[in-house]
Amino acid sequence: MQNLLKILLRYSNFLVFLVLEVAAFLLISLNNPYPRSSVLSTANDAVAWQHEQVSEVAGYFSLRAQNELLSQENAALRNQLSAMDSIKTGELMRYVPAKVVQMTTSELHNYLTINRGSKDGIQRGQGVRNSDGVVGIVRTVGYNYSVVQPIIHTDNNLSCRFAKNDYIGILQWDGQDSRFAQLTDVAAHMVVNPGDTIVTSGLSPVFPEGIPVGIVESSTLKEGDSYHTIRVRLYTNFKRLKYVEVVQNAHQTELEELTNGLD
Amino acid sequence: MDWTKQLGRYIIVMLLQVLLFNQLQLVGVCHPYIYVMCLLMMPITLPHSVDMVIGAVIGLIMDIFCNSLGIHMAACITLMFLRPYVLGLIINDKERLNEQINQQTIGLGALLKYVAILIPIHHLMVFALGAWSWHHMGFVLLETVVSSVISIAVIIGYNALKYR
Repeated sequence: MQNLLKILLRYSNFLVFLVLEVAAFLLISLNNPYPRSSVLSTANDAVAWQHEQVSEVAGYFSLRAQNELLSQENAALRNQLSAMDSIKTGELMRYVPAKVVQMTTSELHNYLTINRGSKDGIQRGQGVRNSDGVVGIVRTVGYNYSVVQPIIHTDNNLSCRFAKNDYIGILQWDGQDSRFAQLTDVAAHMVVNPGDTIVTSGLSPVFPEGIPVGIVESSTLKEGDSYHTIRVRLYTNFKRLKYVEVVQNAHQTELEELTNGLD
Repeated sequence: MDWTKQLGRYIIVMLLQVLLFNQLQLVGVCHPYIYVMCLLMMPITLPHSVDMVIGAVIGLIMDIFCNSLGIHMAACITLMFLRPYVLGLIINDKERLNEQINQQTIGLGALLKYVAILIPIHHLMVFALGAWSWHHMGFVLLETVVSSVISIAVIIGYNALKYR
């Protein structure tokens, strides 16, 4: 017993090191992949507030460009509105505008924080888009802020389709360049041309069908491959992302309950 | 050791990291973490285990800002664990470690060795744990080399300016 105590005392520093490291790795595994605590991330109000102040100051330097973009977006929205009025269909999708207060684009696991949270009806799993195209999916919701996992995240799997013939593929990201993503699962018999438009498939309740994603930049098919390697130029410019919209599908809960019931 | 001065130094360097260096995203592989400077410069007067707990706390604070719960914490604990051994290897005169560790107290050569051993270890841990797979190892190594060089340059540059 005394010997054991002696050994423990002798290696006490190493034991402290081990205990602390285990605690750290426990945190990492809790955090990885998704159910992250909203308090210990940028959804935390104090931290998000700091990011918001920084982007507030930085925002003054790009006011002119942003104004131009906003007015373009307004015009596009008004056009859509008038088109919708003429159809008079039941409204399923609601768009909640939000401002990006913090964003990374050069990591493998990028995240962005937006200034809308549970008080604005944001829920985990809702889609996020801007006027150009798809942005990502809400991962953590705080009261005032939420964290969004963009499509430029190496765990991204977004179901997409070719606008020309509705062929389905999965959009992934290789962690290299925030302007380009990869479309996988497109069989070799499909004819893929540069310039083909990729849109969301509408197969999941997260995004409605037909939100623009990007255009095919290049596609290669090596001898013996059964799938194309397709590089997609994303419509969304993540380096300049300032304003986004959260897509709320009125039927999302019902659709998810239906598919969960199948297991 | 003057504790208020030490605390002030931590706050300033953490603010610099969060407000300035975390915003640097010009090149995809450039993520210098200069906040470890405070941890590296602390004198070796506290018990080793207390040093590691300080590392854990600083790492955790950094994690909250970087959305990377546990990653900086693990790297900082390792850094604080290795620190006395690395200093023991480089410096013979243990008396000098009772003061703030900088160019004036241990000399430029020893400081450069000390920083160049520990910073790449810390950065490699941060990037490797962040990637969380062997798939991106090449990218992680490149990121480590580029970011370490910049972090080391910032720390040595600061010392050179202060004690010239």
